[in-house]
Amino acid sequence: MIDYQRYVLKNGLAVLAHRDPSASMAAVNLLYKVGARNENPSRTGFAHLFEHLMFGGSEHVPDFDLPVQLACGENNAFTCNDYTDYYMTLPKDNVETAFWLESDRMRGLALNDRSLEVQRKVVVEEFSQRYLNQPYGDLWLLMRPLAYERHPYRWPTIGMTPDHVREASMEEVRAFYEKYYVPNNAILSVAADLEPERVFELAESWFGEIPAGKPVRDAIPSEPPQTSARRLEVRRPVPASAIVIAFHIVGRTDPRFYAFDVMSDLLSSGNSSRLYRRLVKEERLFSSVNAYVTGDMDPGLFVLTGHLLPETSVQEGERVLWQELERLQREPVPEAELEKVRNKYESGVIFGDLNVMNKAMNLGYYEMLGDAGTVNREIDLYRSVTGERIRTEALETFRPEKSSTLLYLREDEN
Amino acid sequence: MQPAVRIPDRLDIPMPEIRRLAGGTGLYVLNAPQQEVTRLSLVYRAGTRFQSRPFTAATVMNLLAEGTEKYSAAEFSERFDFYGAHFETGIDRDYAVVTLCTLSRFLPQTLELLEEMTARPLFPVPELDIYRERRKQQLSVDRQKVSFRARELFTQALFGQEHPYGSFYDRDEFDALTQDVLQAFFRKHYTAGNCFAVVSGKAGSEEVQRIETFLASLPAGAGVSFADLPEPVTTPLVQERREEALQTAIRIGKRLFPRNHPDFIGMQVLSMVLGGYFGSRLISNLREDKGYTYGVFSAMVNLESAGYLAIATEVGAPFTRDAVREIFRELARLREEPVGAEELKIVKNMITGDLMRILDGPFGIADVTIESVQNGTDNGYVARYLEEVKAITPERLQELARRHLNEAGFVTVTVGAVDECAPDSDPVLPDVPKTASV
Repeated sequence: MIDYQRYVLKNGLAVLAHRDPSASMAAVNLLYKVGARNENPSRTGFAHLFEHLMFGGSEHVPDFDLPVQLACGENNAFTCNDYTDYYMTLPKDNVETAFWLESDRMRGLALNDRSLEVQRKVVVEEFSQRYLNQPYGDLWLLMRPLAYERHPYRWPTIGMTPDHVREASMEEVRAFYEKYYVPNNAILSVAADLEPERVFELAESWFGEIPAGKPVRDAIPSEPPQTSARRLEVRRPVPASAIVIAFHIVGRTDPRFYAFDVMSDLLSSGNSSRLYRRLVKEERLFSSVNAYVTGDMDPGLFVLTGHLLPETSVQEGERVLWQELERLQREPVPEAELEKVRNKYESGVIFGDLNVMNKAMNLGYYEMLGDAGTVNREIDLYRSVTGERIRTEALETFRPEKSSTLLYLREDEN
Repeated sequence: MQPAVRIPDRLDIPMPEIRRLAGGTGLYVLNAPQQEVTRLSLVYRAGTRFQSRPFTAATVMNLLAEGTEKYSAAEFSERFDFYGAHFETGIDRDYAVVTLCTLSRFLPQTLELLEEMTARPLFPVPELDIYRERRKQQLSVDRQKVSFRARELFTQALFGQEHPYGSFYDRDEFDALTQDVLQAFFRKHYTAGNCFAVVSGKAGSEEVQRIETFLASLPAGAGVSFADLPEPVTTPLVQERREEALQTAIRIGKRLFPRNHPDFIGMQVLSMVLGGYFGSRLISNLREDKGYTYGVFSAMVNLESAGYLAIATEVGAPFTRDAVREIFRELARLREEPVGAEELKIVKNMITGDLMRILDGPFGIADVTIESVQNGTDNGYVARYLEEVKAITPERLQELARRHLNEAGFVTVTVGAVDECAPDSDPVLPDVPKTASV
């Protein structure tokens, strides 16, 4: 349970404060509601490149990291499809440093050509390190455009190609900053041993004067319903062939989302889960299997993946993955099995809440989804999923004509 | 207006309550009564250095819950998952650690599972077969990664293949592992006298009593004798060619000394200056100035009977040679110029902040306690460590750099674009014989 209070500044900045009396560190999270989803298809990877530039200094702060480090703090950021998140922990006594730094770079970023030039190179190296120079690294570069035809989820946050990053101009950088990095497009959340009133006071005094921007109303192209099965086969110099099957599901805020979350846990959460037990342990067909939901704001994906053992044919691998989906459509889930994944989920939430940074991040994330209060209802929503609901959603969703299958094969695979 | 900041002068870390059990196991208790979770770590001296056959130590640890007389592997996982509990395993050269994480209300049930797996594992042949196939495949995948491969080659270059800290093996060595080999390793090393336990989270008298009963069930065994480690054999330059690689993994470092050496803390500060934080010299140079890499790090690595400085990065293939040169240039700069006062202040504050973060929350203190016991100290070490860090001067750091970071004895490993930095074409590589026995 994360107790919190909410306050919105006149300029639209939403502020959430959670008091944790046991914490000596303060966690400060600033979420901007912009991600790869808001990008222009000819300039993909831009939101993430911009995230790098946010550390290049601002009006009154020549170097962002230095004052954080001097205050015994630590900070970083990440970009995903739906949002960009900047987070920091520092001793409670020094929390004001975070307000100063974050408000300064929201008010005026010191953009310069040199910093853009260097960060373009750094991001190209990041592209190589994480996506191109790793076994299976390009798997999602292939899978996204297979599963999505129109929606910007068809490219990953790093971008479709390093060329888009190489070509980014200063003019585009400035326009992006002015449009999206405004208080009314941001959420500030703080978890610390601080009275919420104190947090709101600090927010008011550091962020209150920043003018609001125009409301962000991007027309995101929606994904047309899929009507036929899609397949892609590639060969790569990898030791084991992999299969990925994805299905379109609902967005994160749709009440039906929880049924998919439960199904993915039934299939692959823990060593007693169905895919692991049957396909890895009993039948010895795969070396690893996984099932998960992408949990995106717009309709996302339900994904099954597996790495084949050398003796398993691709056809056999695909067949048994489908067999597990059909089992969800055919047989009601036993109550004890449901109770097991519910307990595991609940325990995961409790372990996650031990950390102030997790709590601050969660508050920001749920506020972005529309209501921070959902964070405290997740366990009940998850628990409310019935066996019948699962069968209904499974029947509706796991159909060949709604699937996208990527066969990522080792070079000598038959 | 920049807000003022406060830096704590000292940190006080709770000392665990220490209980010594009849079987020889030490139990370190850090009670946080307001928590509803309990975490229990069993730390065995059963790392890879003790194995006489490749892969034995990790396989034993990973197969503990794969079957006893009472529970099959499937029953173990079914039960752990039902209680929402899990156990984590970790192994290094010296230690194997098994950690149970559970809601406190299910401690009795999950402890019973832990007792089964740590007292009576059978290592069933079918489970061993499955594990072997999966691990072999995983190892093939890992070794395709330039960073993984460079890490293996680096420790081998520092210590030599015959040294337990430097060896790594072909995946087919898995085929020689039998149930008997695993049983023998287990009987010798997974004993009450060869481990200690640390409990954190909710650990009141009721929990402690249960844990003590559990620890009393750990198998007794003969004491383990420690064979002397062989002399390390250092290879100054190792290069593995990957024609297709977009990036080269670089590992550069030097064998120094373990944590009990009087210069260890100073060297930790120095490695932090070099590459221990965002803004460090290596990050500023290789990433923020030149854009050669997404990340570069350096750290002092502490093993029970050795220690070394490690510098690690992946750089764009065309920048390989220049990146190696710049790393050695930064090492030279540490020897030639004193560290600036402001820079040293940042590093000291960063170290203070890192410690505060570790100590915030119930499990961080447990991790510190594990490390203290392994190092033969206690949690008072953290306060003394911080005191020494705060007192360190630029002169002292320069003296340490001159003493320990001279180029003789350095090891350079690259996996990726190789010929770009061949030694004859690169005068900054250390001028030492190809294979030196130290």
